Amino acid sequence: MHIKLEQRHASSLLWQGMSYGLAIMAGFAATAVLLKLSSADVSTAFAALLRGAFGSQRAILRTLVDATPLIFTGLAALVVFRARIWSIGQEGQVYAGAMGAYWVASSLPDAPLLVVGPLAIAGAMLGGATMSGIAAVLRNRYEVNEIFSTVMLNYIVVYLLSWLLSGGPWTEAGTTVAYHQTPLLAQPAWLPQLSGPLHAGILFAIAAAISVHLLLERTSSGYDMRALGANQTALRFMGMDVPRIVLVTMLLSGALAGLAGGVELLGVQHRLKADYLFGLGYGGIIVAMVGGLRPAGTVAVAILFGGLSSGAVDMRIQSGVPDSLIQAMQGTILLFVLCGTALARYRLTWSSAK
Amino acid sequence: MSGLFQQAILVSLLAATIRIATPLLLSAMGELVTQRAGIWNVGVEGTMLTGAFMAYIVYAVTGDHATAFAAAVAAAMVLGVITAFLSVTLRVDHFITGLGINLLASGLTLFWFRSFVKGKAQPTFDSIGTVPVSYLSDIPVVGPVLFDQRLLTYAAFALVPVVWAFLYRTRTGLELRALGENPAALDTMGLNVAARQYAATVFGSAMTGLGGAFLMLGFSDRFVPELSAGRGWLVVVALIAGNWHPLRVTLAVLAFSFLESVATHSQAIGAAVPYQLLLALPYVISIAIIVMAKGKSRQPAALGESYARS
Amino acid sequence: MTVALQASGLSKRYGDVVALDGVSLEIHAGEIHCLFGENGAGKSTLSGCLYGYVEPDGGELAIDGKPVKLRSPAEALRFGIGMIHQHFKLVGRLSVIENVLVGAGGRGLFLDTKTARRRLAALCSDYGIELSPDAIVEELPVGLQQWVEIIKVLFLGVRILILDEPTAVLTPQESDRLMGALERMRGAGMAIVLISHKLREVMRSDRVTVLRAGKLVASLRTAETSPEELSVLMVGRKVSPSYNQGRELPGEIVLDLNDVYVNGERGHRVLDGLSIQVRSHEIVGLAGVAGNGQRELFETIMRVRPLEAGRISIDGKDVTASSTRDVIDLGVGHIPDDRYLQGLIGSFTIADNIVLGRHHDCAFRKGPFLDRKAISSFATDRMSEYRVAARDSAARVDRLSGGNAQKVILARELQRSTSLLLANQPTRGLDLGVIDYVYRQLLAKKAEGFGILLASEELDDLMTLCDRIAVIHRGKIVGVVEPAATTPQHLGLMMAGQAIPGGEARAH
Repeated sequence: MHIKLEQRHASSLLWQGMSYGLAIMAGFAATAVLLKLSSADVSTAFAALLRGAFGSQRAILRTLVDATPLIFTGLAALVVFRARIWSIGQEGQVYAGAMGAYWVASSLPDAPLLVVGPLAIAGAMLGGATMSGIAAVLRNRYEVNEIFSTVMLNYIVVYLLSWLLSGGPWTEAGTTVAYHQTPLLAQPAWLPQLSGPLHAGILFAIAAAISVHLLLERTSSGYDMRALGANQTALRFMGMDVPRIVLVTMLLSGALAGLAGGVELLGVQHRLKADYLFGLGYGGIIVAMVGGLRPAGTVAVAILFGGLSSGAVDMRIQSGVPDSLIQAMQGTILLFVLCGTALARYRLTWSSAK
Repeated sequence: MSGLFQQAILVSLLAATIRIATPLLLSAMGELVTQRAGIWNVGVEGTMLTGAFMAYIVYAVTGDHATAFAAAVAAAMVLGVITAFLSVTLRVDHFITGLGINLLASGLTLFWFRSFVKGKAQPTFDSIGTVPVSYLSDIPVVGPVLFDQRLLTYAAFALVPVVWAFLYRTRTGLELRALGENPAALDTMGLNVAARQYAATVFGSAMTGLGGAFLMLGFSDRFVPELSAGRGWLVVVALIAGNWHPLRVTLAVLAFSFLESVATHSQAIGAAVPYQLLLALPYVISIAIIVMAKGKSRQPAALGESYARS
Repeated sequence: MTVALQASGLSKRYGDVVALDGVSLEIHAGEIHCLFGENGAGKSTLSGCLYGYVEPDGGELAIDGKPVKLRSPAEALRFGIGMIHQHFKLVGRLSVIENVLVGAGGRGLFLDTKTARRRLAALCSDYGIELSPDAIVEELPVGLQQWVEIIKVLFLGVRILILDEPTAVLTPQESDRLMGALERMRGAGMAIVLISHKLREVMRSDRVTVLRAGKLVASLRTAETSPEELSVLMVGRKVSPSYNQGRELPGEIVLDLNDVYVNGERGHRVLDGLSIQVRSHEIVGLAGVAGNGQRELFETIMRVRPLEAGRISIDGKDVTASSTRDVIDLGVGHIPDDRYLQGLIGSFTIADNIVLGRHHDCAFRKGPFLDRKAISSFATDRMSEYRVAARDSAARVDRLSGGNAQKVILARELQRSTSLLLANQPTRGLDLGVIDYVYRQLLAKKAEGFGILLASEELDDLMTLCDRIAVIHRGKIVGVVEPAATTPQHLGLMMAGQAIPGGEARAH
């Protein structure tokens, strides 16, 4: 009987892991149907997509570049979701992070990299954390559900940036208002390139993933966050300062999301513009969920999705399929993952004693 | 002279408020029924977007309003079924379900839209016309504001007393209200909890889809990605602000609509604030409204909890 | 006597647990049939099967001699079987009449409240119940809510009525009244199935079926048995819970609540000028009908709930403005009534639960990192000390039995508390062995010099364990009595809010 229980436990974990794999495959199958519906040639499109994502050294480097911000936003979503804080403000925090980094970097046009680099990164973290901090305070002080505050803040930040870039103080001088962008940052503020298009941001992202893993699984503060997600009431009865844990968790999440905007600005685009930031936050939520709310899974899925979005460019050129296929694909995969993990959980409850 | 001008602005402002309120109200009445049945659907945003997109694409292809509305409602109902399947049958957290619906809708509409307009000019079209009510629309100010609107606007406002009567005067309405408070009360009486929650969810989504279609065909000349722009979320907030009561929810919807109307009229009114910041106003106010509703509003006790017999 | 309902060979498994093992019984019209047994003996599962709420794995049912399959409560109701569940299935925010109408059927789209009101009034007057049809159920006293449940089922015209522990939340007087009503129903030819573990009620039935570990142990005519025989049958051995009541002199005051006012979530008063004192070396019992402020009292002492007015001190220190952390640091242990909600983190391991709240202590930490080794060896020691039966300290708490889960809480709370122990329904839902263990632990702590506040729905237990019993009614202590100087009936009157002359007298 002892062994029987063990086996069930193990097999349910296996089944859970399999459910993620199956869900991703189902997502690909559904995408094939989507392609068929829009009368594209499925095999040409998929071939171009995969070649563009992982087909050459350069493609892989580009994939990693696209994965970098997703790793950050994925970790940002992971941290709050593990604590069952339903913040979906990563989108706005990415914008705020890019704004923070731009503000710092553009204020120090003549400083060397060693000065402006760390400060701009700090600016990005501060920008993101400010947004999530507002939501945390609204929750702790005024009992505002973070779902609403973060959604509303997302819209508010987008409008704020839109004003800053067209009509506001950051509008590029001498251009028409229609460009909606700032001038390029000075060279010293750019993140160093590692190889080809790959910039140093990926190193920060991997380091962040390892840190988040250690934080959650090994430290007493991580215990607080996981306990908050598992049973907030028990935590309160044990005399833990729940509002403080909420605040710390959300600040961390906001800083991580802010980094996504920061590295994208400093490593790739070098000028502030809304369109390349669009969707990174929501993409991160999908990455975290499909990655099973675990750092390693999040990194893996971010690389997969990063590959898809960089391969999508090749796909568009070769088969004419719009690169927004990736967003559709991500949404579909997420839905299959939700179904798959729920079904796997059922197996679990059935097999364990009631 | 300036008096006449001011009156014209006022009429335009208020008429726009009523028009802007229409999609929100349709959706809010639908979601009210859904939430009273205990299903906390936060996929309203994605469902509304889907309705708007379906209306757009079907109208662009067929040129027929009725077909476009029907397609929008049908697509939204599909999302409703998925929502109910996840949150009722699979008992996925309602928030996670809604999040999934929103992201799916956002991705799919974007892709289909880009595929549809690929390599050609984006079709634009006139929005559906108003149907003035004879005699009543001739009343100064009130006439053009209330009685020179589109058919669906009249329907949306007529829906409020209908939903009220349904919830408070019919047997099914009583069962749904009981469901949102304590599903076990129905289950132990042999009433099917899941079937009622499916129906309530699909109804809510259908109304939201209809609202989305009106958003598109009622006052937009073209589709843009994320056309719904947070209106679905405002609906969810309006339910909280209105304490899940049809009349108070309607008031909350009108408040949001008035703010949006002010933002779009900012130049005519002569406001010195940049219009982008005015457009952000409803979102700021909605947070303030939640703060003020604290303690005054009491949600259905079992809202957002998946029911399992224990 | 006609057999109204017959079950043969009913079986039900939940995973590895056999809840029902081939149980057969006959329910006769015009009889009160009692199902008697310990917690977890299978009583609720059996009644669920009779009501179509639980689908048995095997066995048959026959109604009036005809074999039937009950796939849902709807079918049971169609055959005239109704059930009152252990936990109320009412909708608190709806009125009495609305609750009665949910599931009452009827024709047409709209509610027919007029006819319903008439029938409701007739039923109420039949049983002598005063119930306003427009009263909001959650605002009614618990005793009346129980009647709403019963009226609701009678409204459907059932002839077989199953009641699952209906007196758990009633005062002794209310229980008597309910038993009287059941006897009336019996007189009218109804078949009554009464689930209970209270011998006093069992002895008023006509027939009693004893269940143990899912098996039918005996089915007897009540008149031909005795309480002693029944309790031996229930646990399979002779039990005589005799606790060694040390009578030390109470010492210093360790807990002092003075005129405390507290509001609930909806702004209504839940504690209304409550005062109570607990000294070291004493157990103070808290008796009261559920929902009279017991839970809020414990939460207030733990400083989880804000105070409107009044003063609380522990060990002579004013904690009115303190945090939960401060209270815990003063050496207060708390055994909450909802152990899975307030006491444990289900998805965490036993070890993590045992250090819960202390996981930031230096002893369990190396820098920012948790010291896993120290935590698990500490937990393993506590597990053997408190006899927690589990594979090891890495087992998840939500896979433990109720008794073992409660022992995990005891291991944590008793181990770290030093002066005051708050125990709210510490034995709820546990079997007799564990109940005995819990009580012995409390008595040992009392001997060590702890002050203990113990709330329980089992008046008999309070009478044997406590030095004094305080009775709570509508957020107020309406009297404090010594067990030797009172009776359950007397306590019951106080629980119903009746002022007892001399009830305020305190033990010296």
